[in-house]
Amino acid sequence: MTLDGVRTVARQEFMQRIRKGRWRWLLVAWFVILVVITVLVRLALREAGPEVAPYRGSVMYGGLMFLVLSLSLLVVPALAAQSINGDRERGVLATLQVTRLSAVEIALGKFAAAWGTTLIFLLLTAPLVAWCVVEGGVDAVSIAVVTVVMATLLATVCAVALALSAMLARSTTSSVLSYLSVFALTLGTLIAFGLATAMTQESVTRSYRHPVFYDEAHPPPLTGSPPELPPTPLRFEEGIYVETQSRTDRVWWLLAPNPFVVLADAAPYRPRCYDQAGWTAYQPLAPGEVPPRPQCDDSGIDPLGSIGRGVRGLRKPPDNYDESVRLREYSQQDQDQGRGAPLWPTGLAINLALGAGALVLATRRLRTPAHTLPRGQRVA
Amino acid sequence: MTTTESLMGAPAPTPPVSGGIDARGVRRRFGSIEAIRGMDLAAHPGRVTALVGPNGAGKTTLLLILATLLVPDEGTVRIAGYDPVTQPDDVRARMGWSPDVFGLYEGLTSREYLEFFAAAYRLPTGERTARARELLALARLEEYADQPVHVLSRGQKQRLGLMRALVHRPEVLLLDEPAAGLDPRSRVELRELLRGLAADGAAVLVSSHVLSDLEELADDVVFVDHGHTVGHHSVSNLPRAVALRQWRLRSLDEAALVTALAGLGVAHSPPGPAGIDVQVGLDTEAAGLLAALVRADVPVVSFQPVGGALEQTFLELTGERS
Repeated sequence: MTLDGVRTVARQEFMQRIRKGRWRWLLVAWFVILVVITVLVRLALREAGPEVAPYRGSVMYGGLMFLVLSLSLLVVPALAAQSINGDRERGVLATLQVTRLSAVEIALGKFAAAWGTTLIFLLLTAPLVAWCVVEGGVDAVSIAVVTVVMATLLATVCAVALALSAMLARSTTSSVLSYLSVFALTLGTLIAFGLATAMTQESVTRSYRHPVFYDEAHPPPLTGSPPELPPTPLRFEEGIYVETQSRTDRVWWLLAPNPFVVLADAAPYRPRCYDQAGWTAYQPLAPGEVPPRPQCDDSGIDPLGSIGRGVRGLRKPPDNYDESVRLREYSQQDQDQGRGAPLWPTGLAINLALGAGALVLATRRLRTPAHTLPRGQRVA
Repeated sequence: MTTTESLMGAPAPTPPVSGGIDARGVRRRFGSIEAIRGMDLAAHPGRVTALVGPNGAGKTTLLLILATLLVPDEGTVRIAGYDPVTQPDDVRARMGWSPDVFGLYEGLTSREYLEFFAAAYRLPTGERTARARELLALARLEEYADQPVHVLSRGQKQRLGLMRALVHRPEVLLLDEPAAGLDPRSRVELRELLRGLAADGAAVLVSSHVLSDLEELADDVVFVDHGHTVGHHSVSNLPRAVALRQWRLRSLDEAALVTALAGLGVAHSPPGPAGIDVQVGLDTEAAGLLAALVRADVPVVSFQPVGGALEQTFLELTGERS
């Protein structure tokens, strides 16, 4: 395999794509849709209160990135799902296979062309991202991380669509199956996770131990508001109860490969902070400063952060707390620990493995001389 | 070796070849259909070999195996001395292939198309442009060099496809029906081009069913049918048994012609509007028959061969089996 070979295939494939007229219109339509939606989000935030104002940009950015990911997942299969069997149908694949280009070079070249085209779509969002930065609350680290993760996720979809186009004889079949695999990654993981969660439900018997401070014999004092509790309880009321709980910590990995989950969870989390002047944009941590910060909280409304926080909670095993302990010791610290470990490293790893596997399959299918031919497939 | 020499005194092909194409005992099955059941083929450097057979005889499958695209189930193949199964890259560096049906990249111009394949065949970067220009001139497509390939006519596309197969100056050339879609002038040019490549030392294998073309083009001919090789001959040396040729006679006096043929003991077809057909072996026999008819005062107005020698041979060889 040589880089020159990959480049030769990619350049040729890319040139062919950009010379087709409809591709320009696709880019125009893409950009127009994004502008319209971003403007609408901005208008919706017009009346939002002062606690949102410093984060307007991050709300817009999160919404925009979800939209870009959704639309990309619709566009990418169309870009990659016909690149091999389409060539076969047009009778140009075999003439390429008898050249000195290896199967790896052909597969990687076609992958690079499809992925490169996808990145052009991402690049078109740059002006809108700049707008979000101007609105405030979006920093360079967030943009870099979100862009890299998004590009990686779309590379996976490109690779899967390419593999399908290598394995299936008909380009219509591979297109349909590419859309189905996108469906499996997005809604499929969600459905699987939902069903699996229902199956993990278990009944647990818990004991409780409530402190009792007052009873009929010892009524609370009528003065003092709020009434102060006596230093020691009168007695403890004890018992057991049965509770049904879902063990999402056992099945969270089903949701992990979901592109939206990976993107939201990987985006750096930016809590909402305030100072004397009111709500402000998040400030980077000072050297040596350890979160959580007392002047920051979790109640921000940016879409990426909210989903990210939500899914991390799924990894947390249910705490078999004693109610009496909870009453007294529920603190900010527990809240932070309760966030659970991130899902995105697992999710991204699953996606990368999927993409790499797909590229290996595509290469194998392109290797000649071939032993077998798929049903109904002509070599030339 | 010049064209004249090879057409005149060429010996029948001898099996072991170092260059060129050497395929022995090749078999290939697709599911329940055995497309090739034992084919042998030798194509020598410096010669044009014709691969002749009816539709479905296994010509295209054999070419796919020779072109490093398909693994044979059995048999050994050497292209320019290399094994297409275990050394495909060595073969590809020395072999050009043009299939019977192929597409062109619709978005590219003719020049870009050839430059792309020059890169795909790993020609040094500096040579690609020059080689593309050279081939465009050879295919008489210079004026279309910067036009998108979809404006080309069928024949022009065919020529461009042939140029693609020549990009890396292959020493073995495999062409599946190269004359399909070509006008008469292009056919003549194709013949001259292939003869020239053979004269420069290439082994050229051409499959076709336009037999009259092959007759003027090929030095050797391999007949295949039902997945078997049924004959392997030098064109100048087609055997007597299979060289029987059909001749068509027309006379002002049909009755006299029929009587004369009966008198000479020559079997003939029933008289038709086109004339009467007879089967005669070698050319000398044909000349003798004409002289005898003239001596018998039959007013012969036309005496001509029907179809080419290859066509006759082809019908003869394939007729036995079907």
